Amino acid sequence: MNLDLLNFVGQTLALLLLAPLLSGCIKNWKAKLQNRRGPRPWQVYFDIVKFLRKDMVISEHASWVFSFAPYVVFLTALLAGLMVPMVNAPAPLRLFGGVLAVVGLLALGRFFLALGGLDPASTFGGMGSSREMTISAIAEPAMMLAIFTVAITAGSTDLSQIAQSTQSATWKLLNPAHVLAFAAMFVVLLAETGRIPVDNPATHLELTMIHEAMLLEYSGRYLALMEWGASIKQLVLMTLLVNVFFPVGLAGPQASVAALGISLAAYLAKLLALSAVVVVVETTNAKMRLFRVPDLLSTAFVLAALALLSTFLFQ
Amino acid sequence: MLLTIALVAYVAGMAGALLTQRAERVANALGFGLAALGGACGVVFSVVSLAAGQAMTSAPVTLWSGPIPAVRLVVEVDALSCFFVLIVSLVGLAISIFSFGYARTYYGRKNVGVLAGVYNALLLVTTLVFIAGNLWMFLIAWELMALLAYAMVSFEHEDREARQAGVLYFIMSHLDAACILLGFLVLAQAAGDFSFASLHGIGAKLSPHQRDAAFLLFLCGFGIKAGVVPLHIWLPVAHPVAPSNISALMSGVFIKTGIYGLVRVCFEFLGPPPMWWGATMLAAGTVSAVLGVLYALMEHDLKRLLAYHSIENIGIILMGLGAALMFLHTGHEVLASLALIAGLYHTINHAVFKALLFLGAGAVLHATHTRNMEEMGGLAKRMRWTSLFFLVGAVAISALPPLNGFVSEWLTYQSLLQGFGTTTSLVRLMFPLGGAMLALTGALAAACFVKAFGITFLAQPRSDHARNAHEASLPMLVGQGVLAAACVFLGLFPTVFLKLLDPVTQQLAGHQLSQQLTLANGLVLAGATAQGGTVSTLGIMLMAVCLLPVPLALWAVFARRARTRIAPTWDCGQRGLTPQMEYTATGFSKPLRMIFKALFRPRREVQREYDFSPYFATTLRFESHMEEVFQTRIYRPVILGLFRLSRRLRALQAGSLQAYLIYVFITLVALLLFAL
Amino acid sequence: MHPPSTLEVGSQIIPLMATLMLVVQLLLIAQRMLLTSIRLFAIQSLLLAGIAAVVAYYYNAGHVYVVAVLTLVGKVIFLPWLLTRLVHRIQIHQDTEPLLNAPTSMLICAALTLLGYSVTRPFTSLEKLGNNTLAIALALLLTGFFLMINRRKALTQVLALLTVENGVMLAAVALTTYGMPLVVELGIFFDVLVAVMVLGILVYRIRENFDSMDTGKLDQLKG
Repeated sequence: MNLDLLNFVGQTLALLLLAPLLSGCIKNWKAKLQNRRGPRPWQVYFDIVKFLRKDMVISEHASWVFSFAPYVVFLTALLAGLMVPMVNAPAPLRLFGGVLAVVGLLALGRFFLALGGLDPASTFGGMGSSREMTISAIAEPAMMLAIFTVAITAGSTDLSQIAQSTQSATWKLLNPAHVLAFAAMFVVLLAETGRIPVDNPATHLELTMIHEAMLLEYSGRYLALMEWGASIKQLVLMTLLVNVFFPVGLAGPQASVAALGISLAAYLAKLLALSAVVVVVETTNAKMRLFRVPDLLSTAFVLAALALLSTFLFQ
Repeated sequence: MLLTIALVAYVAGMAGALLTQRAERVANALGFGLAALGGACGVVFSVVSLAAGQAMTSAPVTLWSGPIPAVRLVVEVDALSCFFVLIVSLVGLAISIFSFGYARTYYGRKNVGVLAGVYNALLLVTTLVFIAGNLWMFLIAWELMALLAYAMVSFEHEDREARQAGVLYFIMSHLDAACILLGFLVLAQAAGDFSFASLHGIGAKLSPHQRDAAFLLFLCGFGIKAGVVPLHIWLPVAHPVAPSNISALMSGVFIKTGIYGLVRVCFEFLGPPPMWWGATMLAAGTVSAVLGVLYALMEHDLKRLLAYHSIENIGIILMGLGAALMFLHTGHEVLASLALIAGLYHTINHAVFKALLFLGAGAVLHATHTRNMEEMGGLAKRMRWTSLFFLVGAVAISALPPLNGFVSEWLTYQSLLQGFGTTTSLVRLMFPLGGAMLALTGALAAACFVKAFGITFLAQPRSDHARNAHEASLPMLVGQGVLAAACVFLGLFPTVFLKLLDPVTQQLAGHQLSQQLTLANGLVLAGATAQGGTVSTLGIMLMAVCLLPVPLALWAVFARRARTRIAPTWDCGQRGLTPQMEYTATGFSKPLRMIFKALFRPRREVQREYDFSPYFATTLRFESHMEEVFQTRIYRPVILGLFRLSRRLRALQAGSLQAYLIYVFITLVALLLFAL
Repeated sequence: MHPPSTLEVGSQIIPLMATLMLVVQLLLIAQRMLLTSIRLFAIQSLLLAGIAAVVAYYYNAGHVYVVAVLTLVGKVIFLPWLLTRLVHRIQIHQDTEPLLNAPTSMLICAALTLLGYSVTRPFTSLEKLGNNTLAIALALLLTGFFLMINRRKALTQVLALLTVENGVMLAAVALTTYGMPLVVELGIFFDVLVAVMVLGILVYRIRENFDSMDTGKLDQLKG
């Protein structure tokens, strides 16, 4: 019981603290790769604290939904994170939900984020909401199909169980179904976290922005929650990718301290490697036109469908 | 006993309201009051008998037996009937309370007595459809239901739109009645009797071709009633034009009679199903779900949008039922029960949240006098409670945790995922692909309800109607509140509710699953088999409450001196934002309209007049259309073909008596020759 | 965790590479830049060469090594080089809008792959290594055909033909490890090589005469 509590508190803290650092790292590396100096990786912490201290301006047109949304966005990201195994395999809230609950919670956060964008009557907000819901709608089937593929191979929608079953036969990670599902999920990750071929996290230019447009009217501590929630969501999705689709080194249920240490190291290494790939993709690609994004996501969907076909054949 | 009281209350409500139609207030109170009483009795009755389990199956009761031996009206209440009686009573109860306030809008304008009377009659015949014990009872109640609903669709008959919708509804109802009648005749001629008891498992006595024919007839017949694509065209036309309380009843309950019929026939009468039945149903469900939500996205008439969502949800229900039939074929009875539970759970969920949303739309319509979302906006400030209830419904229908839509879709996902292992043929690909389409549906539904809620309730009012809107009256709010509470209950306590489904699955698939589906003293919902996942909406809520101190503690530490200011929205340096600058419903759905343009075939015309530069237009005309693919590509050719045929046949109509006599004579001779 | 035997690793790697060939094919379908398409084709051929090498290694089949080397030299290096030069000479870098847009073509290709899979199911037991690469070979063939139909530019059609040929080679390598004589494989290989060179000249000529390499223009040749 105590261990469970420790696990819960530990993972909550890890999610809260690691997420901004990861966003910071990606920003920093991207700048380095583009020959700029860039902000230090821990700058995001300072940003959040600064947002928290600042006064808040709320639009005169906004209703109660506007103030309700930041809490939902933040809490759903955190709850979803507690269902994904990070360092040891049974995630703290594994009993309360698996893959479907994670996807559902993230969708709930997005729902309120989009409502928060519409509420202050700003055109930018409406545009952001519209685009966000569109892109997530076409990314969702690809994501589900990719997750289904691993769930079917593992025989469960329980994330911890999926991670453990793929882990017990490491060489199976090379199995085409797995590789294809991983690829599809990576594309979805780019779309869901608002990364470059789909959205540009660095600008406030109305032609490109999706996520930032929805946050335009948020300020002060609500903005802090929104930004923090977004970075936690990014961490959750990346954790899902590295630990469920590629669970090398993940510690099991009754792991020793040493095993946990190895697991933590492996987790961080995988996370940084994935971030590096994201950075390279962001730097080498141009932002796509909005109506070209479906091409990308349909490719992801077909990849996931092929992954499914492969489970059917190569077993 | 309680059920009898309920039925008597409906009859009394009908008679009372019709008799007192001169005194509007009395008619209103009497009609909707008795309907609410009937609903309450029905809810108590069905919950008690479902909780009691198998013991409740009562013997058939003959209401009336005619002069001809076979012609009798019999009612029989089994677990399945009970479950559907629960749906109609629960929704009926909430709608009756709502209507008590809503009917006041019709004072002095329309006959409230007739509205209340027909409303009671509708509840009565719908309940009778669910508890019918033989074909006579079923078909008579079915036809009465269609007729009464027709009366309600054309209640506001001054409106041309309402009259046309009524006619379309009437034609489609007759098509479905014809299909069902033919299907039942195929069954009854094998049984030699009209009681449901003798039809039990009658499919085994039929030849395979007869069974397949009967299945297809039922699928078409009940499919029309339920609004399955491509038989759905009447639904988005007819549901919105009825008074809002009736729309809620139609979308929440009436179309469920189609589901009831399919379950009754496919699981009880037709015998062991071949694979393709389930596969067809699953495919039809998937297509309905995706197309329903896509069409809903393009609507900016609030009630039409909701009506299209009914098509989507019926699709999701059919996915569960189809999967259940496939599992019955492969002999996985536990999974069949799981899929059946998923379908039935979604049936009651959809009844609850769709009725809630229609009532919300009714309150909005009442406050703003328009159904057009482009003229709404800013209502969250003016109608606080209505907006809260509508938001509950919107979250529920978008299948987001922790509300009820999520629970039933979770169960559907579970059965689809576990279905993959049940067979080795290619058919099993349908399960995960269906799951992916379900995910698409869910995400599109979320997009659609961000639009529906955001454009209707948030931002600035887009018209004077919306600016002067006022909160709905107390009975209207209570009616919505009941349904919102039901959404929360069904969402947070699925394990409690699942116990009520035990007798139903026992009756239809031979298994009781509530034990297997429950973990940790009912806190956690599990996926029935070892491979299933677990989920706990209640646990998620509790954890959210546990984690709420995290942001609050941050406020306490860092934001002590931060103040909050109310200021105008950033307007890019212009002088204030006007409602014209807001995102519109049409604009919101434009990206999806472009992405799925192969389906919608959008066409737009922009005419711009300007004096010296195109950037300073003096007038601008914008028009946008979408092709109604089903009407133009399927129905219109058929109708034109019928016209052509009838034009040919008109040659027979010579107008002379001799000619007609010759036709009769020739027919007679031909028949005699045929008999030779 | 048990250490996998070498054969097991082989039987993992071959389907993986074959699947990646299919993935490259899909990217080719979504891609409209000619130079990128050529590079994708080179990658696909490299994967094919890799498969041939792995097969050769496990079965100690010398002549399959020859196939691997020929593929490497011919289709990874020579043909891409030739086509790249052609692109630079005719100064057209992008294909025009295909008949069907990318998402639709993607879905059609998924359906074609499914067809390939279901048709080859009865033959699964015939295969020795990396089961069901035959399905992928057939899928490559079908999607290659589709690509040829869907595009307008002669150069992309040439690339599509080459991917079809890749599919045939994959089938040959996967299905008939000992079966198909080297002579036949060489025959196919040189056939295609010559075909591409002829087509290259043809593309150039079309461009010269019509100021475009849209094969749709060829109907103007009718008398």
